[in-house]
Amino acid sequence: MTLVWGKPRQPPLGSEEWATFLDSEGRVMDAKAFKTRIFYGGVEHTIRREVWPFLLGYHAYDSTYAEREYLKSTKKSAYETVRQQWQSISTEQAKRFTKFRERKSLIDKDVVRTDRALPFYDGDDNPNVNILRDILLTYSFYNFDLGYCQGMSDLLSPILFVMEDESESFWCFVALMERLGPNFNRDQNGMHSQLFALSKLVELLDSPLHNYFKQNDCLNYFFCFRWVLIQFKREFEYKKTMRLWEVLWTHYLSEHLHLYVCVAILKRYRNKIIGEHMDFDTLLKFTNELSGHIDLDAILRDAEALCICAGENGAARIPPGTPPSLPIESENAFLYAQDDEVL
Amino acid sequence: MGSSSGQSSGSYDLSFKILLIGDSGVGKSSLLVSFISSSVEDLAPTIGVDFKIKQLTVGGKRLKLTIWDTAGQERFRTLTSSYYRNAQGIILVYDVTRRETFTNLSDVWTKEVDLYSTNQDCVKMLVGNKVDKDSERDVTREEGMALAEEHGWTFLECSAKTRENVVQCFEELALKIMKVPSLLEEGSTAVKRNILKQKPEHLPASSGGCCS
Repeated sequence: MTLVWGKPRQPPLGSEEWATFLDSEGRVMDAKAFKTRIFYGGVEHTIRREVWPFLLGYHAYDSTYAEREYLKSTKKSAYETVRQQWQSISTEQAKRFTKFRERKSLIDKDVVRTDRALPFYDGDDNPNVNILRDILLTYSFYNFDLGYCQGMSDLLSPILFVMEDESESFWCFVALMERLGPNFNRDQNGMHSQLFALSKLVELLDSPLHNYFKQNDCLNYFFCFRWVLIQFKREFEYKKTMRLWEVLWTHYLSEHLHLYVCVAILKRYRNKIIGEHMDFDTLLKFTNELSGHIDLDAILRDAEALCICAGENGAARIPPGTPPSLPIESENAFLYAQDDEVL
Repeated sequence: MGSSSGQSSGSYDLSFKILLIGDSGVGKSSLLVSFISSSVEDLAPTIGVDFKIKQLTVGGKRLKLTIWDTAGQERFRTLTSSYYRNAQGIILVYDVTRRETFTNLSDVWTKEVDLYSTNQDCVKMLVGNKVDKDSERDVTREEGMALAEEHGWTFLECSAKTRENVVQCFEELALKIMKVPSLLEEGSTAVKRNILKQKPEHLPASSGGCCS
């Protein structure tokens, strides 16, 4: 096998360079080049509001300024219609609507403890916290079968922080959940399929580590659960998380780069893991405590190299439909509403 | 200060694994943080599990408690089953101001414990949190006691916010565990195993460390 290194990271895409990707009417002329550019450097915070909707799939690359403006207004009223569905529930009605009350109380509890250290969300009666709540509750009506699950507020928080607009944030979140929704399925199949694919990738890319996990009854990869569920949101500081997300969302090289990021982190600590004979409990604790100590740029370079290295062999080990790939249509219809327990 | 979370070797006699379970938002993480550091802030919802280590002296023994703080939401249950393995103590937490968190103990959590707890002798404790909100109380002290009695659990009411009874929860649980010979045995072998594992490169920052 030849040695492969990830390319050095570039400075983030700024507004002047961003303008060069657009034609006179606002279409992204070369989506592939655009995504490649972001993969290697991310984007400057000031233009995230324009760029993220493309990466998330909310805006089409061939849409014009005018079309996007129009979309914004129609989507705003569409959002308000769904929001109205729960806002119109009276106190009397709520008394006889347990699922609504439970869902609302869970969301109420979670939004006040989501990223409160950030000035954008801190303090009492912060309006942004209320918007966070409204969007999540509206989403739980938009996708009633999936509802609300812990972790969703982590995924929404940076989107609202970037978009600073309730309706636009909602639709960006909807687009993200098209891919990540299965992470929150009641039967956890979305998570299991990703953790299974991860084990296959480790088997391919580091068989001694794979064997170690096998011998120590760690093949469920639950110690990577948080990484995968909320896309490393709790592992990096806020700014780094946003950088990582925009890189992942390009789907350049692979839709499953996040799994290669997991492999890269595990490989970086493999000698420690094996050398200290970590058992399942210790490993779980160890990966949890890596939070805040992972060098993002270095890990992204490693992940890129691993992804190139694995090539088609790697891709072949990830079953079709594994999130964040879009779900395979025929099966998907049954996935959500299979359990009466809706919360 | 007292709550070193490092792996300093040999400074304790027994090591126990404690699991915190209960519905989302009952204050499991707050209870733990209140016990460890005396600060109570709004904590991010737990994803999967968090850990804290606390060393304390109970009944003349120096203990190391590794406390597993689990996610309360039902959807993460397949995951939490793997956390029960080898726990010597389980704390079942409910919120005295939310009745459903109490009823769910019987409906959901006890079944979970029976199913996944590998340790027959594992000590269980029932804890009603948020007694500081007395005006909003929805579950009486007597009800809590009755449920605990029915299952043979220890029972306490506490407030993570005011820290009332918080230390007592963990101390009482530790005392109970130490009274069970099989658990005591597990606790001391865990320490021995850990000492054997110590590597020379694993030097703790021992500035003025010296055994008394």
